[in-house]
Amino acid sequence: MFSEIAAQTVVNILMLSSIYILVALGFALLLTVLGILNFTHASIYMIGGYICYQLAVVVGFNQWASLLVSMIAMGVFGLFLERVFFRPFLKDMNRIVVITLALIIILEAAINVSVGSYIRRIPSFVPGILRFSGVSISGDRLATFAIGSALLLGVILFIRKTKTGLQMLAISQDINGAALQGIKIHRIFAVTTAIGCALAAVAGSLMGAILSLSPFMGDQMLIKAIQIVILAGIGSIGGVLIGGLILGTIDAALPLFISGSATDLTGLCIIIVILLIRPQGLFGREV
Amino acid sequence: MLLETEGLTKYFGGLAAVFGLEMSIREGEIVGMIGPNGAGKTTVFNLITGFLRPSAGRILFDGKDISGKKPHLIAKMGIGRTFQLAYLFPDFTVFENIVTSFNLYPKSGFWEALFKAPSYRRKERYILDQAREILRLVGLEGVKKVLGRNLPHGYQKLLTMARALAIKPKLLLLDEPIAGMSLEEINYAMSVIEKIRGQGVTILLVEHNMRIMALCDRVIVINFGHKVAEGSMEEVRQNQEVIEAYFGRGHAA
Amino acid sequence: MLNGERITRGRRNWIRPAVYASLLIILFLLPLFVDSVYYLHTFIISLIYTIAACSLRTVMISGQISIAHAGFMGFGAYVSSILAKELNWTPWLTILLGGISATIVGVLAGYPLTRVRAIYFSMVSLFVGLAIVALIGVFANYTGGDIGLIGIPPLPDIKIPGLPDINFLRSRIPYYYFFLVLTVLSLLILYSLENSRIGMSWKAIAQSYLVASSVGINESGFRVLALAVGCFFAGIAGAGYAHYNMVLTRSSFGFLSSVNLLIYVLVGGTGSFAGPIIGTTVLVIVPEIFRWMKTFAPFVFGGIMLFVVFFMPQGIAGLFEQLKTKVVQFQQRKTLRDVT
Repeated sequence: MFSEIAAQTVVNILMLSSIYILVALGFALLLTVLGILNFTHASIYMIGGYICYQLAVVVGFNQWASLLVSMIAMGVFGLFLERVFFRPFLKDMNRIVVITLALIIILEAAINVSVGSYIRRIPSFVPGILRFSGVSISGDRLATFAIGSALLLGVILFIRKTKTGLQMLAISQDINGAALQGIKIHRIFAVTTAIGCALAAVAGSLMGAILSLSPFMGDQMLIKAIQIVILAGIGSIGGVLIGGLILGTIDAALPLFISGSATDLTGLCIIIVILLIRPQGLFGREV
Repeated sequence: MLLETEGLTKYFGGLAAVFGLEMSIREGEIVGMIGPNGAGKTTVFNLITGFLRPSAGRILFDGKDISGKKPHLIAKMGIGRTFQLAYLFPDFTVFENIVTSFNLYPKSGFWEALFKAPSYRRKERYILDQAREILRLVGLEGVKKVLGRNLPHGYQKLLTMARALAIKPKLLLLDEPIAGMSLEEINYAMSVIEKIRGQGVTILLVEHNMRIMALCDRVIVINFGHKVAEGSMEEVRQNQEVIEAYFGRGHAA
Repeated sequence: MLNGERITRGRRNWIRPAVYASLLIILFLLPLFVDSVYYLHTFIISLIYTIAACSLRTVMISGQISIAHAGFMGFGAYVSSILAKELNWTPWLTILLGGISATIVGVLAGYPLTRVRAIYFSMVSLFVGLAIVALIGVFANYTGGDIGLIGIPPLPDIKIPGLPDINFLRSRIPYYYFFLVLTVLSLLILYSLENSRIGMSWKAIAQSYLVASSVGINESGFRVLALAVGCFFAGIAGAGYAHYNMVLTRSSFGFLSSVNLLIYVLVGGTGSFAGPIIGTTVLVIVPEIFRWMKTFAPFVFGGIMLFVVFFMPQGIAGLFEQLKTKVVQFQQRKTLRDVT
């Protein structure tokens, strides 16, 4: 009996962590390369889910195709976002914070007012439940795990191996040096933002199937993403994996023993203590 | 002996930036510290003023061990300093820069300041007078309303010295006080430094520009974090090791 | 500044006090013209947030940007409410205790944070704010957890011999005056601190902690002091709100609310004392004026934010400062030309 609970908990940890990591990935990318806390990530995550819903349910496309379209749409939106809202203000972080917050407020209100806040669900991407040795995993969560891991790996490989990725890496370490090397900073920023937004859209669409869609679904996830990213440290994409696992472990395992609020509190205290010892995060660079 | 270091050592990782430094400064002296770039001079400054903790060794000021104390406490004990890069308060005017630096003598408490008690007002008036004195001494009266960040380079350097004087230091550490100055400015700065010495302040300075060594009673040469030579400028100029340090081997004589 | 050494000498000196004085008079006479409970409520809320926003700015002056401020409001609110409700202590006392308790938590949480550089401070403050909300949830027995806390005692009647009792329940007007007086007092204290040697030390730390330390300013000590003062008024504001609203929900003191406060300060302008006052007023009252389009309030709010960011880099208050700076720069160029 105990081993079944333990096994299920381990599975839950992995599933939850993969969701967190998927959401945090795009956010981390923008923080590392552009150096901004893109709060708008929350709305893009949400809108990505709604677009997928519209296409899959209202129009009737296949869910996977809808996901792909949503991804591309949000990627393009990311280009717009970077060009209009980020590029003119990169010198002043305070203003970017206000901008991204203004955007969440407006975007969430826009969806709330136009589409309405009643709960919607995207039909399962991978219907069915996998059961083995007393453990059960829903198909969608398994898909999220697989996709999340694949994307994480994909992003890390992209950064390390492709030319664009290496340029992103260079900018994240020393933007002036990168500019002197002839790297087109603004182009890379645009690409990064597009990728970040596309990732957010994937996360939102998958979550729309696992749980549900609401105009404010991004808020909670944003906080998780921020926690993971700060824990991992600025400048580390790989750290998102560890950060996500830590948070996933806390959030999936502790509620077995203590209340929800106490779980939150414990998780937060752990993060605070870690940050006090190592303010730049587990894997971050000194700023 | 106003300042003494005994076996002062500082490691950064595996690298010894300063190693076994023995140095002493007498009251009323102007001592110059010279050496090639990276020799550890600024590290020594940071160690003395508490911005870095020594890995080993001691620093004695006025007989008291100040090794590893916090910077503001060391300032309180009477050591002032200027910085190579972080000059001053950019959003404050020249006058405000100096006035802000009067934190120690006299000291105002929280409640005094909140209710603007007469004792507080008295202290502030005194501070304003003292600040004007310093402005006059250093020659910055004309620009007292200019914002720190708008100040031309030479004036900025003078301001850093003025600022450091506000804490009534017994020992003043000047980090490259004339770097980037024109000839005129250098001469003026040197006269200011002499005036400061005239007020009873002991001075330890670091410089690359040898012109200022004319002011110094003594010169200490540092290389690789270690004292290489000491003495008057003449003596040091002849020293074998010093020549090697600056010009490399094969340049002797 | 200290003795008018800034370019505010002479003719300009009377403009500010005159503006403030007339504003005060208008505010004190407001209930004569405004009858509706709704509008009074809006003003009361904006007064409460003004105290909170100004105290947040006090913390920010020392270079520490806190995303936990609403959390401290919440802490003060809950402490005051629980003491008044469970122990029957008078709210006049518990509100003060709310402020003090927020200060204590702020100092305890903040002291270790003064050892990290200011940008990391913001990140950790985010978690501190969330932790406070979580803490409130943990003690759900007393705080009501997610359901919320109800039955918070209102301010008790003020009995003045020879005059009719002042009852806080019959109309909003007594509460309005209570918060008006509270706001004026709080702002006076915060203003006095900012324009004193303490305020200068705070601003010095924000500009260069290295230089500040080298002239004897105890960086840690002053940063904790800024936090302590800021949290005290946040706690008071929160506690005041609790005894006005008589109902509390912990979610109103979370991340979003802290961010809101930050927005009020940033939009109003961090450069001047009036900044958060203006920011709060604009962002609380203007959307309410468009109340008939209540669903569109977020758009107004977000729209104002974007407008200010795009066109007013120093915030709304910064607009006035920019004008002043242009004058100052002109005068300084003149000075430099004369000197060099």
